[in-house]
Amino acid sequence: MASNPQPPSSATPPPKPWERSGASSGPAPFKPPSAGSTSDVVEASGTARPGEIVASTDRTTAPNTNALGRPVPTRPWEQQSYGNNTYGGYNSSLNYGSGYGTGMYGGAGGMYGSSMYGNSMYRGGYGGLNGSSGLYGGGMYGGGFGGPMGGYGMGTGTGMGMGMGGPYGGQDPNNPYGEPSSPPGFWISFLRVMQGVVNFFGRISILIDQNTQAFHLFMTALLQLFDRSGMLYGELARFVFRLLGIRTKPRKVHPPGPDGRPLPGPGNPHAIQGYTEGPKAAPTGSWDNVWENDASR
Amino acid sequence: MPIFKAPFNGYSVKFSPFYENRLAAATAQNFGILGNGRLHVLALPPTPGAPVAEIAAFDTADGVYDVAWSESHDSLLVAAVADGSVKLYDSALPPASNPLRSLHEHTREVQSVDYNPTRRDSFLSAAWDDTVKLWTVDRPASVRTFKEHAYCVYAAAWNPRHADVFASASGDCTARVWDVREPGSTMILPAHESEILSLDWNKYDDCVIATASVDKSIRVWDVRSHRVPVAVLNGHGYAVRKVKFSPHRGSLLASCSYDMTVCLWDYMVEDSLVGRYDHHTEFAVGVDMSVLVEGLLASTGWDELVYVWQHGTDPRAP
Repeated sequence: MASNPQPPSSATPPPKPWERSGASSGPAPFKPPSAGSTSDVVEASGTARPGEIVASTDRTTAPNTNALGRPVPTRPWEQQSYGNNTYGGYNSSLNYGSGYGTGMYGGAGGMYGSSMYGNSMYRGGYGGLNGSSGLYGGGMYGGGFGGPMGGYGMGTGTGMGMGMGGPYGGQDPNNPYGEPSSPPGFWISFLRVMQGVVNFFGRISILIDQNTQAFHLFMTALLQLFDRSGMLYGELARFVFRLLGIRTKPRKVHPPGPDGRPLPGPGNPHAIQGYTEGPKAAPTGSWDNVWENDASR
Repeated sequence: MPIFKAPFNGYSVKFSPFYENRLAAATAQNFGILGNGRLHVLALPPTPGAPVAEIAAFDTADGVYDVAWSESHDSLLVAAVADGSVKLYDSALPPASNPLRSLHEHTREVQSVDYNPTRRDSFLSAAWDDTVKLWTVDRPASVRTFKEHAYCVYAAAWNPRHADVFASASGDCTARVWDVREPGSTMILPAHESEILSLDWNKYDDCVIATASVDKSIRVWDVRSHRVPVAVLNGHGYAVRKVKFSPHRGSLLASCSYDMTVCLWDYMVEDSLVGRYDHHTEFAVGVDMSVLVEGLLASTGWDELVYVWQHGTDPRAP
């Protein structure tokens, strides 16, 4: 490793345009610059603290310097209230439904209240997604979204819960008194994945902070994309389930008719599908069979 | 004018202080929310119409949010990476020997880096862990850490004339002025009612700062009398992501915003909006003005494109 990068051909850039002009419009309130390199200057001033790593607990010790006294929003990736709250239930059960809805995120909920987005189908989903991320909950679970939204809620809700319940991750979430029922490798990888989820929402929420309308556009576009691609919410939920490794039952193909072809009729919407997937009993080259069970009729 | 298509979403673009035809672009996959990043070093074609040449590209395991050229070595770059690291690259070396350094001290995403233009041996990094760190190229650890902000620090910028003075912009709605020799900030500027995403110093008046905020405005401040802003520049439709003073004209500044436009302003005149470019089709998040060629602008955005154009011309024109 080249720990000391060799200066290439030119060591100083061309002079800056502003260096040729005069100084500022008046006396500047800054101390005159010191001579020497930056590290020497800082060390001479006694303020150097090489390699200091600011822990998250360290950071909150300077509230007096916030000149505004304005409350700043809680970061989604770190819940400072977690240390002194009573969410013992996190590690023993994944009861995120009530936990999130009532307590932890109630404070932030006011920012993006569920009423903000009305009650249409889309907006309901929007709110649901928003709420399920755990960032701006505020009782959104109480609203009672349908099953498909449960898919959202489950994935991310679990993520937040487990991410913060990290120290307890070794335990089976359904059995707080038992031995660890899974090898730790799984939990570590699981937590790592969940950390990714938390990171993901951390970055999204920065974007929300920076531009609420932009986030609205983003989510609307996302929902429209899902909608336009013909994916219904149920299918979306199934997709999420499949990602989570939960297999949903494949749809049953209806029993074929007497001659091996599926029965026609409105009661059997999968007839065509069943037919095309089955053995080809009909003579080839006849498109009529696609549309009717019996071409001669 | 030249257009470069990056594989990832653009986050920042900077002109080289050494070569007028060279620039660097920081990009991140999946809008910087999740995935990898890439740092591009680009060369503008000698003749208009020719494609932009890529001199080097460096991959990272997380998005690259910002890049700064070294003022002491013409091929050295500093990258702000979303995994909390600050990485040093030498574009003259092959990718196998890069990065030269990977500095892991920030505990959250690093949003901005700035290289000291006067003393030329140090740079700053501003991160979502609420701190600004001061680094020198010859040391493997930061020289010191500035922690006063109560929320993510989105930008840090050196004063163009004072080697020890810089300013920082934060989500706690304040901008702060610092002297590296002082233990705390020397000035707290409650500049906006919303988060401040960017700031820059006037190159011709070392007491003037411009701040860009989520409240869609840019405000220009004089640090000697910071009760009221010198100017308020309204015109962006969404949050203003970056602001940059011209290296050539004292009152000219460029900005880019989530409303997908790049705007040029002259804060001294009545109709301050002097240029508006809507060439981006996604959030415009990076803008820069060339130090060596007057009027040459570069911008990038989430549409994965890097545009370079002369002020007054159409960026999309071939």
